[in-house]
Amino acid sequence: MQNKNIRNFSIIAHIDHGKSTLADRILEITGAVSKREMKDQLLDSMDIERERGITIKLNTVKLNYTYNNITYTLNLIDTPGHVDFSYEVSRSLAACEGAVLVVDAAQGIEAQTLANLYLALNQNLKIIPVINKIDLPNADIPKVKKELIDVLGFKEEDIVLCSGKTGEGVKELLDKVVEYIPAPEVHDEKPTRALIYDSYFDSYKGVVLLIKVVDGVINVKDKIKMLVTNKVFEVTGLGVKTPKELNLNSLSSGEVGFLSGAIKDISSVHVGDTITVIGRETDIPLEGYALVKPMVYSGIYPIEANKYEALKEALNKLKLNDASLTFEPVTSEALGFGFHTGFLGLLHSEIITTRLEREFNLDIVVTSPTVVYETYLTDGSLVIVDNPSKMPPREKISMIKEPFIYTNIIAPSSCVGSIMELCQDKRGIYKNIEYINDTRVNIHYELPLSEVVYDFYDKLKSRTSGYASFDYDIIGYKESDLVKMDILLNGNKVDALSMIIYKDFAYNKGRSITKKLREVIPRQMFQVSIQASIGSKVIAREDISAMRKNVLAKCYGGDITRKRKLLEAQKEGKKRMKMIGKVEVPSEAFLKLLGSDDDE
Amino acid sequence: MISVYIHIPFCKSICTYCDFCKVLYQKDWAVQYLKSLNQEITDRYMGEEVRTIYIGGGTPSSLSLKEIEYLLLLTNIFNKEYLEEFTFECNIEDINEELLLLLKKFNVNRLSIGIESFDEENLLLMKRKYHTFKDIEEKINLCRKLEFNNINLDLIYALPGEKMQLLKQDIKYLLKLNPEHISTYSLMIEDNTFLSYQKINSIDEDIDAKMYEYITKKLTNNNYNHYEVSNFSKKGYESKHNLVYWNNQEYYGFGCGASGYIGGIRYNNTRSLTSYIKGNLNSSEEIISKQNNMEYELILGLRKLEGINIDEFNQKFNVHIEDVFPIKPLLKNKDLILKKNMLSINPKKIYIMNEILLKLV
Repeated sequence: MQNKNIRNFSIIAHIDHGKSTLADRILEITGAVSKREMKDQLLDSMDIERERGITIKLNTVKLNYTYNNITYTLNLIDTPGHVDFSYEVSRSLAACEGAVLVVDAAQGIEAQTLANLYLALNQNLKIIPVINKIDLPNADIPKVKKELIDVLGFKEEDIVLCSGKTGEGVKELLDKVVEYIPAPEVHDEKPTRALIYDSYFDSYKGVVLLIKVVDGVINVKDKIKMLVTNKVFEVTGLGVKTPKELNLNSLSSGEVGFLSGAIKDISSVHVGDTITVIGRETDIPLEGYALVKPMVYSGIYPIEANKYEALKEALNKLKLNDASLTFEPVTSEALGFGFHTGFLGLLHSEIITTRLEREFNLDIVVTSPTVVYETYLTDGSLVIVDNPSKMPPREKISMIKEPFIYTNIIAPSSCVGSIMELCQDKRGIYKNIEYINDTRVNIHYELPLSEVVYDFYDKLKSRTSGYASFDYDIIGYKESDLVKMDILLNGNKVDALSMIIYKDFAYNKGRSITKKLREVIPRQMFQVSIQASIGSKVIAREDISAMRKNVLAKCYGGDITRKRKLLEAQKEGKKRMKMIGKVEVPSEAFLKLLGSDDDE
Repeated sequence: MISVYIHIPFCKSICTYCDFCKVLYQKDWAVQYLKSLNQEITDRYMGEEVRTIYIGGGTPSSLSLKEIEYLLLLTNIFNKEYLEEFTFECNIEDINEELLLLLKKFNVNRLSIGIESFDEENLLLMKRKYHTFKDIEEKINLCRKLEFNNINLDLIYALPGEKMQLLKQDIKYLLKLNPEHISTYSLMIEDNTFLSYQKINSIDEDIDAKMYEYITKKLTNNNYNHYEVSNFSKKGYESKHNLVYWNNQEYYGFGCGASGYIGGIRYNNTRSLTSYIKGNLNSSEEIISKQNNMEYELILGLRKLEGINIDEFNQKFNVHIEDVFPIKPLLKNKDLILKKNMLSINPKKIYIMNEILLKLV
């Protein structure tokens, strides 16, 4: 049986192809928000999302839409567009039966158009191809249509033309959603199973779960059980977002909505877990969705040591609706107590650190990102290294493997030369070039992920004036000639600055890091030597000469309190210093080294 | 016994580095100002015996002779029976026989003259008037003739672009004038000064330190005692007034922007001339706790090369200094030196003494 009048769908698109604006228009046309309440990009609720014009966290709204005199419930589940968040996309898609694939009428197919489409096809979703922004003066509808037909295999008659900005074609799109996307299956009689596809923390309600009920029914006051964590709660609230919250007494199969149950303990909730109802229970979990492993690790440390607990609490709260975030306690000699944190990519790491700073008011140091290495020892054993400090000594290693990716770089054909140069510089292995049409290509390389996590995307954008789009698949591990490079201050190793690096790049990197450190570390009472070394071999060195002057020469007319204030200001500054041996290193030094190499 | 500082905020022109309380001289303001000063002294002064008086600025000599006479008359409010030192700051161009006779009449026995440099370009950068060495020499000789036998000359060094050769020349001229006391200051580019607005950068730290080394060596070789970070004197001519500051003793500060330390309270008068003229001192006050006071004793006392007497310290505060401050590790790595009962900064490290203080307090 089907819950005939429900449609669960997502909009998927490459970044900037107008997904959020189209969603705004849909909300307006279905009357979910009046024109007066409309603010741009309503579904992007985080400040950081509106600022950067990207969607990170998914949101769900329930809309009413009348088609052929029948009122349908449309559940629109928003998705992020960036490559780092394909994990979030797959979570959204797990709650859907169909997806609207949006392509910009001027840009055509881009890397994440492909990536998101493949994710949707993997979940067996029905796809509605849409060409958006048809109002643009430089829209080239025939060309984009041809790409959709030739490259992605859609039929011309299925393609919807619309403009999220003017609203043209949006009604036709909604009609198509009702006609083409299947209604969810209804199994109200079955034992209850609901998928947790997201969660967040509300200071009044505790943990709020976003769920899709697949089988059976959930009512307020039901006792529910989580299949993975085995925790039991009583349902205190159920409802949907329209996008305002609307409380309901029950949710039945096919429906998506939110559930609260006075859940205070964050760790009892796992996104991807299955909820069942005691009395109508089952122990067979729903098929979740592909869990993605973190690809990039960084250390996160509070600048002031007493903020460790606050940092832990903040990471726990962020993890609630970001299951891809992993962290475990770590101790650094240089930076003290912190967390070894796993991210999906560099943007993900930036988003998390920005949220820690803004939403939780924490001052933190984030160490350079590292990927996960497979290190084979001479005795044949394997050591997984996700932190350079765990790298075994060189003489014990027989081989190091690192993760490689396979790229989709979609760009104008005029940029091929400079993109290939960039990929070669980053140790790329050329595979092939596909022609999307006579002006655009899809360039395929195999690249070490470690080269991509630093500054590859920034460089790609600057070399193609922003015209290239980029996505990748992890294809596995390959052997590389890698070494661990240490940084020493007056002979003391700075564990937080150790890195694993391609041997041929070590010399240049060592020079650039020692140089940057010389600029950011203030003079001390003694000379400081900064060295980069591989094993016991020093490959770069810079010196900071001893401080010569720090004295207040003049004491104007007995104004002594002022002198004291200056001294106190200097003392405050010292508090933010990290001690490496006897050398005081400003926290900023660790931050600045994270940025891209500006010596190129 | 107490000391008195009187601030005169008026100047004939504003130096590019000065961030102290000052305005261009204006007759009607000066008259008003002296009246307010009279009021403040009358209100604040409790009748203690005064050991030192220091009239500084600004430029006290920018006032007219009549105004200076009024100002000096104000000092008669103080009990001067045991007065040992009375300093008056002046610019070289303001020195003349009439002024000197007037100062003499009121028992001023020490002159502090802002030479700053003998080099025309250096003076231009500071926006100070240039005088030939001969002119300066004549003025100093006039002071000597009228029996001023305790003269301080100020020198500023490490100006942007200044070369070692220039400093050597300045020191040579300075020594030629044979003053009893020399104060040398490395130029600091303070916020809200002309130099900071011009985005002028300080001279390189290494050059600055080399200049300081040169000054110290040269003046010491010429029988000047280096007794405080920036101050040198012939034997017995240390500034008694400034030693009051460095010995953490109490003193009155009168005038706009002046600071004082009376009855365990440090205060700063308003820096707004219009407020001050209206009789509104708007003093900010800080009650000095015992801990703070011990810190001040160190911060100030260690500016003296001989340092502080720890027996006196222990007796004054009824503590053992090593229980209050981490002296021992600093003695061990020779940041500090203990000779008999005198605790001092290692003279080789005096120019980075803030670093040492930061470890101490």
